[in-house]
Amino acid sequence: MYLNEYKILLVDDEKTLREMVKGFLQRAGFHNVITAADCREAEEMFRKELPHLVLLDVMLPDGDGFSLFEALQKDSEVPVIFLSARDEDENRLRGLGLGADDYITKPFLPEELILRVKAVLKRVYRAKDMREGEIVVLGACSVDLGSGVVRWNREEDGGQYAGSGEKSDKSGMDTEVALTAKEYAILQKLAQERGRIVTIDALCDSVWREENYGYENTLIVHIRRLREKIEEDPSHPKYLLTVRGLGYRLV
Amino acid sequence: MRYHYRRGVRVFAYGAVVLVMIILLVGALNFVFLLAGAFVYHNVDTNYIYGGSVMDALTYTDNGYVLDEEMERRFKEQDQWAMLLNENGQVVWSIRKPKELKDSYTQADIARMTRYYLESYPVQLRVWEDRIMVTGLQKDVLWKYNLEFPISWMDFLKRVWFYYFLINFVWILALAFFFTKRFIKKREQARIEWIAGVSHDIRTPLSVVMGYAHTLEQDEKLAEEARQQASMICHQSVVMKELITDLNLTSQLEYSMETLRKEKVRPAEMIRNIAAEFLNDFPSEQLVIDVQIVPEGESVCLKADRQLFMRVFRNLINNSRKHSGQDETVRIQISLWVEKNKCCIRLRDNGIGYSEEILRGLRKKKRGTTGNHMHGLEIVKKIILAHGGKIQFGNCEEGGSYCLMMFRLSSFLFHRKACEAHFCSEAGNPNL
Repeated sequence: MYLNEYKILLVDDEKTLREMVKGFLQRAGFHNVITAADCREAEEMFRKELPHLVLLDVMLPDGDGFSLFEALQKDSEVPVIFLSARDEDENRLRGLGLGADDYITKPFLPEELILRVKAVLKRVYRAKDMREGEIVVLGACSVDLGSGVVRWNREEDGGQYAGSGEKSDKSGMDTEVALTAKEYAILQKLAQERGRIVTIDALCDSVWREENYGYENTLIVHIRRLREKIEEDPSHPKYLLTVRGLGYRLV
Repeated sequence: MRYHYRRGVRVFAYGAVVLVMIILLVGALNFVFLLAGAFVYHNVDTNYIYGGSVMDALTYTDNGYVLDEEMERRFKEQDQWAMLLNENGQVVWSIRKPKELKDSYTQADIARMTRYYLESYPVQLRVWEDRIMVTGLQKDVLWKYNLEFPISWMDFLKRVWFYYFLINFVWILALAFFFTKRFIKKREQARIEWIAGVSHDIRTPLSVVMGYAHTLEQDEKLAEEARQQASMICHQSVVMKELITDLNLTSQLEYSMETLRKEKVRPAEMIRNIAAEFLNDFPSEQLVIDVQIVPEGESVCLKADRQLFMRVFRNLINNSRKHSGQDETVRIQISLWVEKNKCCIRLRDNGIGYSEEILRGLRKKKRGTTGNHMHGLEIVKKIILAHGGKIQFGNCEEGGSYCLMMFRLSSFLFHRKACEAHFCSEAGNPNL
C-alpha cells in the first residue's frame, strides 16, 4: 500500500493548525487527508470515509478527544494519534491506558508528526503481513520471522572456503536451524529496533513480559545460543553486538 | 505540603485572629441570651408567691389566720397553694392545699421536703418565728436541683483552668491551621491550573509558528538568508516549547506533591534506558555513556514518578552535552551503588564543570534569581527533593562536573524476588 492510499482524518478545532497539518501531510505524500473541527463532525466523517488513521486533538469544542476516541474504538480498530496541548494529557493518556497508538505534544515539528504517522501506519497495517513475510538477512544467514527458521546459504560464502574442496562442498548445501521461542522473541525485538541499542531490560520485557527482574543471566545464555545459530563465529559476533553495560544491538 | 511560607504564616495569623474573634463573639452572644432569658423569665413567671409575701398578708385573729383578699386572688391566679405548720409540724392554716397532702408532718418529712419535693409538689419553705410557711406549686411545673461541689474539686479546677484554656487555645489554632491549609491549597491549585491553562493556550499558536517556520526553512526557492532566519524562528520556538513545559512542571512541583505519579521503578533499568535512548538518538555525536551499576544496585526499587525521573537524567545528560569541554567526545559516566542504607547515583562528565555562580544558585534553599541556562538543573533538584532524596552538584578535581543523588533505602522498595536474594546475602547487615 502506498502512502497516498492511506486516508487520514484530522480532528482539531483550530482552523490554521488544521490547514497547516494537512499541508504537511500532503507534502509528505499523504494526499488523502480529511478534516473535522469537532466531535460531531469527526464521527460523521469517520462513518462516511472510514479513514486508516485518526489524528485527534484532545480538547474539542463539543467534548474531549478521549471520549471521542472511545466512541471510535467501539466499532473499529482504527489507529489514533493524539495531539495534545497539555503536559498532563500525556500522563492521562498513559494513566487511562486507553491504548492510543501514539501522542504528540503541541507544538511539534512537522517531521516529528510525519515520522509518527508513518511509524503507526507501518506498525498497524504492515504488521499483519510481517509475520509471514519479514526476513532478516544477516550476511550469509537469513532468519524468517514468520516461521522462526534460520537458513544458512553457504554458497555466498563460497569464496571464503575456496581451495578446500571438501568444505565448499559442505557449505554448498542450505542448512536450516529452528529458533526456540525465547531466541525468536529476542531476535524479533532486536530486528524491530535494528541498528539501535536495546537494553537488557527491554529484551527481558519482551521475552518474559512481566516480573522479569533477575533474568539477566538467563538472557545471556539465550543470547549465546542465538549467536551460535546466527553468527559465523559466535565468540566474535558481527551482527548481534554487545553494548557493554547497556544491552545488545543488531546491525 | 509546601506553600509560600511567609504568606502562609500571614494567612494563618489572620485565620487564628478571626477564629478567636468568632469564638469570643459566640461566647458574648451566649451570655447575652442567658441574661435575656433570665430577664424574660423573671418578668413572666416569677409571679410565684413565696413564703415571705404570704406571711405579710397573713394576720392572726381570734378566729384563726386570715389572708387578705388580694393575696387570695393571686393564689387562685397562680394556681398555687400554701400551708403553715406549727412547731409540732401540724398544719394550722392552709389555702388551696391539695387533698392528698397530710395535715401533720414529722421532722423527717420536713427535712425531706426542704431540699426536694413534697409528694411531687415543688415546695418552698420559710421559717416564721416558730412556724414554717410552706408555699407550693402544682406538680411538674418546677425543676429543682441542689448544686454541691467538694472543695477539693474546686481546688482542682483552680489548678487546671489554665491548661483548660491552653487546650482550647491550641484547638482553636489547629482549626485555624486547618482552614488556612485548605485555603492556601485551593489558591495554589488555582495558580497551577492558571499556568497550565496559559501554557495550553500558547501551545496551539506556537505549533503554527513552528510548523510554518520549518516549512520556510526547507523551502529551496527562498534565499539562503531568509531560510536561516526561518531556521532561527524554528529553533527559538523549540526553546519556547521547552520553557513552557518547564514552567508548567516547576509550578506543579513547587505547589503540590500530589502531581507525582508514583510507581515502582528500578533506577538501574531507567539509567540503561536513558543511556540507550541518547546513544540511539544521536548516533553521529561523539558521545560516550558509561553505565556502571553494582550487582546489588540492580535490585533497588523506588517509588517514583517514572517520567520525572527520566527527565532528571535527560536534563543532566543534555546539560553535559551542552557544556562540553575541549575534548571532542562527551564522556558521561553514570554509576549506581549502594552504601549502607543509601542508594547513590552519580553522573559525571568531562565538560567544563559548573561555574561558581551556578553552584551558588543550586545550593540556595529557595529559588533565587538564577540564569536561564540552569533551569534544567533547577528542575532536577526539585524533582529529587520532591522524591525525598538528597542532591549535590559539584566539580571533579580532575575536571568536569558531577551530580550526586542519594536516596535513603527506607524510601526504596526492594523488588520482591530481588529482596529475598538481597536479604540472604546481606543477612548480617543490621541496616537492612
